[in-house]
Amino acid sequence: MAEKEFEPKIIGFFCNWCTYASADLAGISRLQYPPNIRVIRVMCSGSISPHHVLRAFQKGADGVLIGGCHIGDCHYLRGNYMTIKRVRFLQDLLKFTGFEPERLHLEWISAAEAPKFAEVVRKFTEKIRKMGPSRLKQAA
Amino acid sequence: MDKLREKVRNLLKENKVAGYLGYIEGEGGHPLPHFFTKERLEEVERAIVPPDNARYPLDKILESLAAAYPDETFAIQVRGCDERGLNELYKWGQLDPDKVVLVGVACTQAQADYCECPAPWPSVIDYGEKCEPVLQSRRVSRIEALTQEEAFQEWLGHFERCIKCYGCRDVCPMCFCKECSLEHPELLSTGKVPPDVIFQLVRAIHMAGRCIDCGLCEEACPAHIPLRVLYKKANLLVKDLFAYETGSPVTGPSPWKSLGEEVTLEPKPM
Ligand code: SF4
Ligand code: SF4
Ligand code: FES
Repeated sequence: MAEKEFEPKIIGFFCNWCTYASADLAGISRLQYPPNIRVIRVMCSGSISPHHVLRAFQKGADGVLIGGCHIGDCHYLRGNYMTIKRVRFLQDLLKFTGFEPERLHLEWISAAEAPKFAEVVRKFTEKIRKMGPSRLKQAA
Repeated sequence: MDKLREKVRNLLKENKVAGYLGYIEGEGGHPLPHFFTKERLEEVERAIVPPDNARYPLDKILESLAAAYPDETFAIQVRGCDERGLNELYKWGQLDPDKVVLVGVACTQAQADYCECPAPWPSVIDYGEKCEPVLQSRRVSRIEALTQEEAFQEWLGHFERCIKCYGCRDVCPMCFCKECSLEHPELLSTGKVPPDVIFQLVRAIHMAGRCIDCGLCEEACPAHIPLRVLYKKANLLVKDLFAYETGSPVTGPSPWKSLGEEVTLEPKPM
């Protein structure tokens, strides 16, 4: 039997006010992007705890994509100041332990940037597909 | 030891403190943590600095004492790490600096080398002498030099030995939360040994900018997991990314405590 092609599971934590809306707009504009992404809508990217990211990986995510408002545009003013701190720290900690930091990505995508949204999801999905299943998943 | 005992005796006699949290030479010469008071002043004769491998989380005991007697001032024996712990606990509102008197101990060179400690003495020294600090952790550099695959295999090998005894958390002077993420059923699986692979990472996240590198967790861990290396790195990252020096009386608040006034970092390119 031919081996089934690996289909990565990607969790997207998207801010309600920007990236989530850009996903909507992408849909309305009929922009194509891979269906591998499971979206979790949050009220601000600053409400995403490193716990949620680690939990997603533990539960079998091959990639985690975080989408928030551009700096200066956060609906809660500075929520995303925390997002960038957490993500950068976590990526470096994952690197130290060999837990594949490339599987975690942060992108600022505004509500108007539907083409950017589709492009980021496409690129990230392809990157994760190339990387194969997450190491952490194999260990868990 | 005379100088230290004299200081403690005077603090107690002159009612400067309600008690002194230190160590006593117990039965058969065993060093034990002890609370000295004016009522039993003769015990100060047996007040000691314990051998390097007999340290207890005195900061943690002080936290309970201070919570039970919020109006009292206490003296406490501190090494460099213990004082960093106090500084951090002040910042987190767990202790009041005006109600703490330091009785300081400088660590031996052997201890500083073993700990790879960059600041092996407190701001007040009542016993011992300053030795050479260790500015770089070789244990951390060794891991940094590994490939991703090697690092993963090494840490996985360690994490899989965890028996989830929570000893690392329970001994930690900086773990003061009433509710612990490590026991949260929605953040980590329950009833599973070894625990989820992310267990130690969850703890490392919480220790970043908080661990004062006393090493007690690593000494307590029955599975010999090099926890300290993980937290040393977490603190180095906090220093590199946010210029935050854990345990320093100068830098603060913790980068996790406030959003900050400006953003200096950018998302990494994909
Ligand atoms: S070395 Fe371990 S026990 Fe000591 S403060 Fe850091 S995490 Fe806590
Ligand atoms: S002390 Fe060691 S074995 Fe016990 S929970 Fe902590 S890491 Fe696991
Ligand atoms: S509201 Fe979008 S990142 Fe804060």
